[in-house]
Amino acid sequence: MPAWSLKLSAFCISLFVLVGSFGYARDHVKNPNAPLQPPVADKPTATGAAPTASPAPTIGPLIPTRPGRRPPTPTPGPRLTLAPGVQSASLAPITFTHTS
Amino acid sequence: MDPQLFVWIVARATGLAAYIALCLSILSGIALRTSVLDFLAKNRALRSLHDFMTWIWIPIGFAHVATLLFDRTAQIALVDLVVPFQVRYAPLAVGLGTVSLDLVVLITVTSWLRRRMDDRLWRWIHRTSYVAFVTLFLHALWSGTDFSAPLISSISWSVALGIGLLAASRIVFGRLPE
Repeated sequence: MPAWSLKLSAFCISLFVLVGSFGYARDHVKNPNAPLQPPVADKPTATGAAPTASPAPTIGPLIPTRPGRRPPTPTPGPRLTLAPGVQSASLAPITFTHTS
Repeated sequence: MDPQLFVWIVARATGLAAYIALCLSILSGIALRTSVLDFLAKNRALRSLHDFMTWIWIPIGFAHVATLLFDRTAQIALVDLVVPFQVRYAPLAVGLGTVSLDLVVLITVTSWLRRRMDDRLWRWIHRTSYVAFVTLFLHALWSGTDFSAPLISSISWSVALGIGLLAASRIVFGRLPE
């Protein structure tokens, strides 16, 4: 094998290892088995702050009331519990329900 | 990406690439004195490769060291590139890297000055490349984040074992029979 092909092979191997290990390190920022655990590995990789889950809003039981009648004793009705990921929007509530 | 995270990722990547480039350099150097790579190329081509590898590992190794100078966790100063075991963060693991760097720089500079040096002295200095490789390997093993990853670990250990076997055969048998 000529010298130039040995050099080219060695150059390609080194470049492949450099690029490959950069991609590997970028994709595996934290390695729990690594002997050293620098605090930089614990930082999130995303540019923005991670969204925090808002407390799940709950709606109380609906109790119908009429004039002159005692309101019935409240019984535990069905509670609507939203998933933690669902957040309330700052839009006006939809009140128009007419359909043609 | 956070600048510190980028510095750390570049340091990891260049560390691994410098390790492989130095392994290739040492492997081609051992091959000059043994006949294990004779099936691949003649000694002149191997010698040419051995000289060429210097120009591969120097920029990669320089990038590894330079990025670590900016790493806030390791807090490596310029003096730590020469004096080993002075850093507060992982002094043994980082210090072995300093020992390896010092030896590799010494070996390279004396190789450039070989014609002006006593040949016997040059040979003894050049033989410290085995010590440099051992310290480099331990530095990578004890401080390398990716060295414990299965794929990288298997490649790194295989290369190290190969060099170890060749070095042992070189010490025991001298130039291996063809």
